[in-house]
Amino acid sequence: MASFDLIFPVAILAGFVGAMSGLGGGVVLIPALTLLGIDIKHAIAVSILAIMATSSGSASVYVRGHLSNLKVGTFLEMFTILGAPLGAAITLASSMRVLSITFGAILLGSWMALIFRGRRRWDESGQDGFTRWLEFDGRYEDRAQGEMVHYKARRAYLGGPAMFGAGFIAGLLGIGAGALNVLVQDLVMGLPPKVSTTTSSLTIGVTALAGTSVYLAAGLIRPMLAAPAILGVVLGAFLGTRLLVRLTNQAVRRFFLIILLILAVEMIAKGIRGA
Amino acid sequence: MHSSDLHPLAESNQETARQWKMDSIIGRILQAGVLLSLAFVSIGLIWNHLAGPGAPLDEHFAGTNLFQIVAELFKHLARGPVQAGLLINLGIAVLMLTPYVCVLASAVYFGGVLKNWKYTLFSAIVFTVLSYWVFVR
Repeated sequence: MASFDLIFPVAILAGFVGAMSGLGGGVVLIPALTLLGIDIKHAIAVSILAIMATSSGSASVYVRGHLSNLKVGTFLEMFTILGAPLGAAITLASSMRVLSITFGAILLGSWMALIFRGRRRWDESGQDGFTRWLEFDGRYEDRAQGEMVHYKARRAYLGGPAMFGAGFIAGLLGIGAGALNVLVQDLVMGLPPKVSTTTSSLTIGVTALAGTSVYLAAGLIRPMLAAPAILGVVLGAFLGTRLLVRLTNQAVRRFFLIILLILAVEMIAKGIRGA
Repeated sequence: MHSSDLHPLAESNQETARQWKMDSIIGRILQAGVLLSLAFVSIGLIWNHLAGPGAPLDEHFAGTNLFQIVAELFKHLARGPVQAGLLINLGIAVLMLTPYVCVLASAVYFGGVLKNWKYTLFSAIVFTVLSYWVFVR
């Protein structure tokens, strides 16, 4: 099995590329660990644990900055913590090939979601009764514009069940499924992108804990694999985020998105070849 | 200005102030949990590295759920000297406990301070389901 000397630098790179591309550390860490010869189930188990560190770390900043909405987060967690253990249980029973192909396909899907994300305008029309009952409104300070933005969410009755699906994918593949989270909160519930991105960091930690518990019970989480992965991913994500705020050039981001595309195709090919 | 004009605004500001206080508390718990966990894991890894190749890390956890692991950690701590592997396991346990404690804190704050029974119930549901999962073996 791969040693610390290999896992640590690979995890730094995964965290870095994950942050630069905007898709998160897990989607890069899992294919990278399998390239080191670690089987996909162990890679998934380690990744979901590492994600808890990156998402809780970024959520700590967002929550204190009053960007994440704790009510929206709590409501959505009720659904994700049911989906994640189910996904994890299915992973335990699945073949490695099926998992590789599924992982590649989901990575491809998240990739497309990310590409098409900015092409939709957030509108604040018509809050339904159920969502109003859930008190899904709030405000945050937009520092770039220097103003308070008030918002109201919609369609929580669809958003909740959709988040069961996002939790399922997170538990199944050991990823944060941040792209899916944001897609549900943006498109279905009409939350402003700043709120959906930051609230999803908060829910991912809780979702990942529910999924991790299943992998832990199955004996798939090994401290000697997990420790360098956690530390590396956090360090890489930290570096990536620091660099990202200084970058205005979209070309750099596109470069990292192409890396992810190659990883997705590689995972699908690996599954088909049966390697 | 009439008091009826001022009152709802003042009340809504007070409500916002209480919610922002909650944000600060939850944010601090997350920050402390992640930093503590990373510190334990880092020190454990460096220690293990310095101890040389003759000091392998644990292949598996002593336990199959979070509470078993925490209980084992305390037993080890009571029994003998701290080892590199023990610190790493402690770091991983703290990491897993972080979101769990946050959910508990949310339930307490929603109930005790905000008196928002709807969200006290919701966070209590999340806490109960999570407790079930972290006890799974």
